[in-house]
Amino acid sequence: MTALEAVSVYLPPARIPVESLAGPLGLTEMQVKLFRRFHGLREVSRDPDASLYDLLMKAATGLDALRGAEHRVRYVLYARAMPVVGPYPVNPLHEVCGALGLGHALAFTVTHQSCASGLLAIDIAGRLLAACAADGQDGQDGQDGQDGPLALVLSGEKAFTREAQLFADTTIFGEGASACLVSAFGARDRMLAYAANVRGEFDSATGANDARLQREYRPSLAEVMRQALDEAGVTLDDIRVVLPHNVNLVTWQRMCLLLKFPRDRVLLDNIPVSGHVFCVDMFANYKSACERGLLRPGDRYLAAAVGAGGGATFAAMVFEH
Amino acid sequence: MTAQETGLDGEFRQQVVDTMTTVLTRLLDRPEPVTEDMRLMEELGLSSTLGLELLLQVEDQLMILIDVEVMDADQMKTVGDMATFVAGHSRPD
Repeated sequence: MTALEAVSVYLPPARIPVESLAGPLGLTEMQVKLFRRFHGLREVSRDPDASLYDLLMKAATGLDALRGAEHRVRYVLYARAMPVVGPYPVNPLHEVCGALGLGHALAFTVTHQSCASGLLAIDIAGRLLAACAADGQDGQDGQDGQDGPLALVLSGEKAFTREAQLFADTTIFGEGASACLVSAFGARDRMLAYAANVRGEFDSATGANDARLQREYRPSLAEVMRQALDEAGVTLDDIRVVLPHNVNLVTWQRMCLLLKFPRDRVLLDNIPVSGHVFCVDMFANYKSACERGLLRPGDRYLAAAVGAGGGATFAAMVFEH
Repeated sequence: MTAQETGLDGEFRQQVVDTMTTVLTRLLDRPEPVTEDMRLMEELGLSSTLGLELLLQVEDQLMILIDVEVMDADQMKTVGDMATFVAGHSRPD
């Protein structure tokens, strides 16, 4: 069963107040007030001096479990919201793989589900590793997770254009990166279920369905969360904590009302201080939940994400800690 | 249900209604005035974003803080519904 072996997150220590972004982003005073008062976004993490390579390396080198296990890494998946992040032939993913001693691994990008691409990458990594084991390619018994093959799931982005910095009237993006080692048969943080609904009709390029997306956003996310819970054979009451995407506070406050789920069991603390960090939110919130002792062995938790842009993807993943 | 029956301050609720209808008429750039019985989504086409801007302007003008975290937006069918909620779930700023 797909499992998270280790997670590392890097969020730049520098924080930019939302008010300071008003000029560069062309926000009105009212929009700034909205972000602060209702969306709960006070500041976002940014590191203007760090390149994308720097961000990814800072996350990956924080992954102690990777040291000495490089030879076990078969796949490196880079989950990101933006389809293009550098001019050809610059390829930060391959540069990172080289620097980490992972040149032997098959490296590729998972995208086109915007900020939901991170959950998709975990699912793909687990399935690829399981297929390795089924084909007897792992060189080990493949079942105990001790020496079996691994995948490294990277995420992280630079907020390098206005489009990458702002989702109008909804969220402001911060910078950061995460690195997560995935195994096919690990014993900790096992993935019980994954559900995703891809809704191509919500393509922001035309804007034709923006109002409908606003109306259907929360019901659609609730629906995919229920799908994942059903597939996992658990109910929402069994979920110790929800790890949200950090889109904004009011969306999750209203999600809690819709789901009749206690707000104090959704980890919202990072929204005011980091902003929405693309695909990194789930991993950052996982780290926060562990650091704050919110997860005990055996606890079930649910990660949820919505990727909006070129279509919308609603995704949820249930784990057992 | 009247404001008296719900235990609301009727005068304050009317202040909220007046402020909301004035702000909405301007926000939506409507030639006709907005009234209390109008349906927010079906009639006025109010998006959730504009709904938040409306609340923010009401807060500013009446110098109150609205408990948005307990507001079930799906239950707010009309301008009057929202005014009743605001009148019952706000405090002086």
